[in-house]
Amino acid sequence: MFSEWLSRLRFAVSRKQRNEVDEELQFHIDRQIEANIAVGMPPEEARRQATIAFGARERAREQCREARPGWTVELFFRDLRFGVRGLFRNLGLAAVAVLTLAVAIGANSTIFSLLSQALLRTLPVRDPQQLVVLDFTGATDGHTHSEGGDRPGHHYEFSYPMYRDLREKNQALSGLLASATTTVGATWQNRSEAVHAEMVSGNYFDVLGVVPAVGRVFDIQDETLPGANPVAVLNFDYWRTHLAEAPVIGRAIAINGVQFTIIGVASPGFRSAVWGRTPDVYVPLTMQKVVEPDWDYLTDHHAYWITVSGRLRAGISPEQASASMNRLFFDLRRQEYASAKDQSANTRKHFVDASRLNFASGARGFSPVRDDLKTPLMVIMGMVVLVIAMAVVNVASLLLVRAANRVREFSIRYAMGATAGQIVRQLLCEGMLLGLAGSALGLAIAPQTLRMLIRWMQGRSGDVSEFTPTLDWRVFAFTAGAMFAGSVIFSLAPAIQFWNPRLADALKQQAANVLGGSLRFRRTCVALQIGFSLFLVLGAGMFVHTIQNLRSTDPGFATDHLLGFQLVPELAGYPGPKVALVEQQVLDAISGLPGVRQVGATNDADLIGNGRGGDVSISGYTPKPDENFDAELPWVSNGYLQTLGVPLLAGRLFSSSDTATSLHVAVVNESFARHFFAKPQDILGHHFARPDRPSTDAVIVGIVRDVKHTSLRDPVQPTCYTLFNQSDRPSGLMIYVRTWQSPDAAANSIRAAVKGIDSKLIVDDLSTMTDQIDQNIMAERTIALLATVFGLVAALLAGIGLYGILAYSTAQRTREIGIRMALGARRGSVVGLILREMLVLAGIAVAATIPIAVMATWAVRSQLYQVSIADPAAYASAICVIAVVAVLAGIFPARRAAGIDPSRALRMD
Amino acid sequence: MPPSTDLLQGTLDMLILRAVAHEPQHGWAIAQRIQQVSNNILQIGQGSLYPALHRLEYKGWIKAEWGASENNRKARYYSLTKAGRKQLETEMENWARLAGAINVVLQEI
Repeated sequence: MFSEWLSRLRFAVSRKQRNEVDEELQFHIDRQIEANIAVGMPPEEARRQATIAFGARERAREQCREARPGWTVELFFRDLRFGVRGLFRNLGLAAVAVLTLAVAIGANSTIFSLLSQALLRTLPVRDPQQLVVLDFTGATDGHTHSEGGDRPGHHYEFSYPMYRDLREKNQALSGLLASATTTVGATWQNRSEAVHAEMVSGNYFDVLGVVPAVGRVFDIQDETLPGANPVAVLNFDYWRTHLAEAPVIGRAIAINGVQFTIIGVASPGFRSAVWGRTPDVYVPLTMQKVVEPDWDYLTDHHAYWITVSGRLRAGISPEQASASMNRLFFDLRRQEYASAKDQSANTRKHFVDASRLNFASGARGFSPVRDDLKTPLMVIMGMVVLVIAMAVVNVASLLLVRAANRVREFSIRYAMGATAGQIVRQLLCEGMLLGLAGSALGLAIAPQTLRMLIRWMQGRSGDVSEFTPTLDWRVFAFTAGAMFAGSVIFSLAPAIQFWNPRLADALKQQAANVLGGSLRFRRTCVALQIGFSLFLVLGAGMFVHTIQNLRSTDPGFATDHLLGFQLVPELAGYPGPKVALVEQQVLDAISGLPGVRQVGATNDADLIGNGRGGDVSISGYTPKPDENFDAELPWVSNGYLQTLGVPLLAGRLFSSSDTATSLHVAVVNESFARHFFAKPQDILGHHFARPDRPSTDAVIVGIVRDVKHTSLRDPVQPTCYTLFNQSDRPSGLMIYVRTWQSPDAAANSIRAAVKGIDSKLIVDDLSTMTDQIDQNIMAERTIALLATVFGLVAALLAGIGLYGILAYSTAQRTREIGIRMALGARRGSVVGLILREMLVLAGIAVAATIPIAVMATWAVRSQLYQVSIADPAAYASAICVIAVVAVLAGIFPARRAAGIDPSRALRMD
Repeated sequence: MPPSTDLLQGTLDMLILRAVAHEPQHGWAIAQRIQQVSNNILQIGQGSLYPALHRLEYKGWIKAEWGASENNRKARYYSLTKAGRKQLETEMENWARLAGAINVVLQEI
């Protein structure tokens, strides 16, 4: 056995030469001729007999070759060479097929990687299936700090005392963890920056099963009493990128000016129990007052601010856990209700009886952003599916057209003695090569496009994206596999002929109808491609239109030459009473800078999706029963309205004579005034206040025009502006600077001015208003960008596909066209004939697609802005694009057909 | 041409090994020898002899050398290797057993 292998190996290395075999066979025949002559045959007859006795010499030689070790490998390489040569012979077509496959694979892998991260992937923690997310229904009173949530009517935020009770008194969970997130100022080695901090319960890491990369993580000893646990755990990525993996254990990091001891770094890849949060540093919940100095939540039963999830005890179903914990929850709610202000039966019903604790699967983690991302991602995924469908149709039709063009080649090879097996092997090889090349190219582009897309979505904000640029390998493998299989199957399609018993006839005819029913197939391909591409081009048009509408929406003030940045003095350790003072200092310093026209500030940034509001009371106005009036209530500086350029309608704006100690004043917008008085001017002189907060009382001195505040999409809200330095609480500010200069130059001088006041102050998120708005409409912009890309790809694919099919079918019709021209048809009428056929087909496809498109747009209408789902302009332009593509794709084959010389066309075949 | 008796699968290999067992032979001579010795009962398709020879060579049972033929032409001579001799013995034993068994069956039934 061993010697046999050795011998095979020897022959594999040093091959027998072809001429050696020839020589040996020649010797045999010569020797036989001699022998025949020796028995008396004439030389001619001797030669004939010898050759007959030997049999087919070529066959023998072939069989000698096949006996060779490594013959299968050799055969494979020969087929491969043949395949490559076959593809190169028609390089353009092969390149288009490969590119199409790559685009489909790349797009699908990229988008599905994002989709699976947001919607499907489980948290990178131990046994995520055991996790449950808690929420409750029922009334709340007091302050809710909400990040958003999946279902209306469900509260995902709990109070800290409620959480502690649920954690300590339940028997259904092996652990219940809580967390909340906010922005803090972190100072490390004299460098201050704003970072995301997650406040977590002591058992947080333990319940999740997250281990430290360095040092240790929190345990229950790190969550004792309010303010007693100044310890911090760092996020791995933050430690790596911002602290350069410095030794940190036992060292101090200042958070909002308070020293925290770093005890460890969490394991790489872990971010949060809540998907979408990207914390840089973790601190115990008990340090809330340091992290958010404006608020004191820890002992408050009516402050809802932490999200809660738990791990089910082994053997307990979510239903059992829900039943047992709801009894506990009911008791706790009853106790809370006892201390509520409003003791009416109605309130009791909403607060206690209708209240219920709910359990949802927590394997993917709770996420406030999942809902916002879901529709855009689904829309984009839908577009990707269409692109893939187009790619499949395109590649299939290209390959079949190509195969049909090669009938002659195959019949010649067949006649030359190639076996059906050999031809099938060659086709298979070509199909595999196409599939492989497409997959390889797809693999090369997918991670790059994913990274580019994520970077683009981050915009200029520099924030960590909730998405990580990791490709979903299962999706890539699946798509590549499917595309590979598809290209092999469609490559093999022409081989079906070789199983056809009437093969010889088919090959002899060689004419148009070799692929039975192929005309219908080609027409279907054309119609599908036109339909799909119309769909995508239409989508692109609508989403781009949405973006244009959003961008051109007039918020009521000029957004150009406007820079904004966040200033929160508490992040630099300023105590409450000094906050407003330093803020005023900063405003004064900036207003003195060269190139600055005006500067103003608000605690409620404009047009970035934020709102701060509540109910109000106006002196001299009695609310109707059940009146539910909420207004936006921003605190602003006295230059704010002037800086934005909000026009005054009546009374006066704030001025520098309105100081912290002077009369408290307020300015309202028109909508606000109209709600209370038929004539808006009547509101001047009335007093405004928050219910039960007398310190907020202010006299209304002015009315301004309505301007958009929350976002460009949302309608104008009734708004009442008061002065930040007259408020009863300190607050961080968004400072807006109207400049003459370029944004970059102004940005540098602003940073320098703030640093000049106190180097610990952090200028956060400094960017132009237009950038901030862009960031706010990122979902729409992302859809529009991808829709445009996919629309272009679709139009291109359709063009190429149509061209291929038309080029083939006109070539098939050469004889017919020749006859027409011989009978006197002019060139123009031949071109018209071909184009007309194409356009009729396109028209049918368009007519069939439009109803489906209307339904699809209706389904995604939430993503559109001021675009009708039957927007005639969008439909008209999409149809125009398709018509142009169809005509462009048709014109070249048509002109070539028209250039046919009738006499030659008739002589063909 | 007289109708040739089909050789049993695998027996051609054995016959070739046997034909070169005593002295190196070239292809033509091997074919002649098998034919003569079997009184023309065993007709080897001459074309199929060479693939078989090559296969045996690749298996390492025979080895080939160029040499001068009886009429002084360059010819390829095949001779048995050690592994080939062992293989031949095994095959002959198997054949004897099989043929004996078939004979017994034919006579007894």
